[in-house]
Amino acid sequence: MKFINSKNIQTIVIIIVVSGLLFLALSGYLTPIFNLSLSPLISLQSWLSVRYISAREFITTPRDVTQLREQNTLLESQVTQLQTQLIEMEERLGEAQVCFALLDFGRTNPQYDYTAATVVGREISPFLQYIIIDKGTEHGVRYGMPVVTQQGLVGRVDAVIARAARVKLITDSTSIVNVRLQSAEVEAQLQGSLTGDISLDMIPLDLNVEPGDVVLTSGLGGNFPPNIFIGQVLSTQRRENALFQTASVQPIVDFSSINAVLVVNNFESVDISPLIPEP
Amino acid sequence: MIPNLVTALLIAIFYILQTAVFSQTALISGTADLILLFFAAWSLQEQVKNTWIWTVIAGLLISLVSAMPFFAPLLAYLGVVAISKLIQRRVWKIPILAMFIVTLLGTFLQHIIYFIVLQLEGAPISLLESLDMITLPSLLLNLIFALPIFAVVNEVVGRLYPLEVEV
Repeated sequence: MKFINSKNIQTIVIIIVVSGLLFLALSGYLTPIFNLSLSPLISLQSWLSVRYISAREFITTPRDVTQLREQNTLLESQVTQLQTQLIEMEERLGEAQVCFALLDFGRTNPQYDYTAATVVGREISPFLQYIIIDKGTEHGVRYGMPVVTQQGLVGRVDAVIARAARVKLITDSTSIVNVRLQSAEVEAQLQGSLTGDISLDMIPLDLNVEPGDVVLTSGLGGNFPPNIFIGQVLSTQRRENALFQTASVQPIVDFSSINAVLVVNNFESVDISPLIPEP
Repeated sequence: MIPNLVTALLIAIFYILQTAVFSQTALISGTADLILLFFAAWSLQEQVKNTWIWTVIAGLLISLVSAMPFFAPLLAYLGVVAISKLIQRRVWKIPILAMFIVTLLGTFLQHIIYFIVLQLEGAPISLLESLDMITLPSLLLNLIFALPIFAVVNEVVGRLYPLEVEV
């Protein structure tokens, strides 16, 4: 009976109560009670933690700002370097795209030999539409050779020296190109102008020319190879008592921003002027 | 010797700038003519010698390069220098005003010469169209660039030919 004394009974009760509580806690029956009792504690902990972090940030901020400024300067310099690299890459990409486009034109027109040239200048006088290219007789460029881009006809070589040539654009006011309209199968003359606009002349009045009709070189006259794309008809004009109708043409080549061209090497222009009877 | 070398160098620089940059920067269809402005500013400087010889040399070279027939650029630049020499004796105290007058008259003279030469060549251009689309925009651009070109030329001439001061 010595075993049943007050101390032992107290111990047994504590064990049973603790075991019961553990059992209840593990089985989830005490969760609401825990929530109720812990939520004020967590709120207090959260409040204290926020204040602590704020206080720590307040104390440590000046050092971080200095670090951040240093990092920012470093990053800005890196961004500048990357932007410089990006600009260089874009320039190279632009050059490569021009080269690929010219190469593509050469592949699609394999019957001709080409010499690629860069546009290095323009005519001094604003009355004339000429460009200067960086290829001359040393590279096989000769007087009268047609000049094209990947888009279409540009003009023909007007003067040439050893390492440069002057190209008369089809937009020049003295330039005349024999062309044909692809849809109507009619031939006409393409004329340049003082402002660089091009227009069609000598179109028979009975022909119906529609805006959007494609204008190609006809090859007549022997100055240009046939079937080189020039542009599309914008609008037509019919004047009273006129023998022919005229049409404005939108050139496919942007003559204000030509950077590179192809000189057609194996096309020899034919001078037919001795065959034309003098009036 | 050095002034002649500097003159040749300046003509070369202005020619390169003209063909590579200014001829590609058009207002409507008109462009500024840096070489005209250079000769206008150069010939307005009293200290400068051999203006006529350099005008003939540069005019001949540009005539050979240009597609303009009959040495029209040479005639135009000689005309500009002649106007400049005439103006210089009359409004010499206000050189900037003289520069503007030479630019105005020189541009008109140059374009009249070009127009006549192209008409003789048979180019189908009309006077009104060339005035509206080329001459007036070119004149405006020339007047805009006249002042900086004059300042550059004035500075170069000031260094090449320092004024003698009597003691």
